Amino acid sequence: MTIPRAVGIVTAPLQGGGPTATKGELVERLTPAKRRVGARAEAPAVREKFLLFRVGDEIYGMGLRGLREVLLSDGVTSLPAPPYQVCVALTYRGRKLPVIRMSALFEVPPGGASGTERVLLTQGRGRPLGLLVDDVLEMSEVDPARITPLPALASLLDPACFRGVFTRQDRIILLVNEDGLGGFDEVVHFYAAGT
Amino acid sequence: MAVQAEPIPPVVAAGEASVLMFLVAGKQLAVDLDRVQQILEYQPPTRTPRRPPTVEGIIRHKGRYLPVVSLRRRLGVEEPGPASSAILLLSGIGQDPLMGLMVDQVLRVLSLQPDKLPPPPPRVFGIRVEFIRGVVNAGGRPVVWLDMVKLLTSAEPITLLA
Repeated sequence: MTIPRAVGIVTAPLQGGGPTATKGELVERLTPAKRRVGARAEAPAVREKFLLFRVGDEIYGMGLRGLREVLLSDGVTSLPAPPYQVCVALTYRGRKLPVIRMSALFEVPPGGASGTERVLLTQGRGRPLGLLVDDVLEMSEVDPARITPLPALASLLDPACFRGVFTRQDRIILLVNEDGLGGFDEVVHFYAAGT
Repeated sequence: MAVQAEPIPPVVAAGEASVLMFLVAGKQLAVDLDRVQQILEYQPPTRTPRRPPTVEGIIRHKGRYLPVVSLRRRLGVEEPGPASSAILLLSGIGQDPLMGLMVDQVLRVLSLQPDKLPPPPPRVFGIRVEFIRGVVNAGGRPVVWLDMVKLLTSAEPITLLA
């Protein structure tokens, strides 16, 4: 998949899970004569869209609703350590933004092949935030009812960093929480210091 | 190894307790049978980020996600276990309602009488007495009955003796 330098993704509030139906269509759908054996009369479940990405050897997801753009990583610059061990910076449209290197946050070796790294531009606690990932994969739709909290023992990271887990094609996928990541201490310091 | 769908409650006489015996690095160990909800064949866990040193990751079982702890790692054994490891589903340990505990091999259920067990020595196999409920003999070899709650909720390092 070829991704141009900036892929504008126009986000809009998600509607319900299915196509908009007129009242006439709904009445027709529920008429017994039209009902097929085994057909459900209730509206289809609301499904939420997630962008799947790779960090190291595992696959993670982020809600598409909060995603603003997907950028190449060549504009990323380092930040002084201390205090920054995980975050780097990106100048985007004249503004300097914090970018979390997800492989550093997760303490895994970067796993992307050369040139596949991307920055997912989103919002964390109402402020711009980038997530540097090894590879962007695909989109997936999930019934939110299938998302389960991450077990307490599973990670030493703040539980607020994760929205939960779900299974797709027999693979467990962890969903990150952008607002939780926006509360990461280096991100908070970045904005507090006016870096 | 056969998967046991449901644990079969043993007929336990008054004053007796049932424990599940298993192997880790050649040592016979045991856990209270009433903590064991199920025994699973090994399935590779999904590695979670910044997991505790003894945690292998998480697995999915009957729609629930469970953390999996390696008892080898908890006991300081660096060599990886056999490919045919088993996962014991334990309840009542830590914050999660269920957790998986990886052991090398499940052996059998053993009935014992806790009140008649002699006090354990200060250390057995390098495991301190605080983590031991008792030591029994089975087939001419010692079996260390572990206090699994204390063992898995403590951060004290342990080195299992060879």
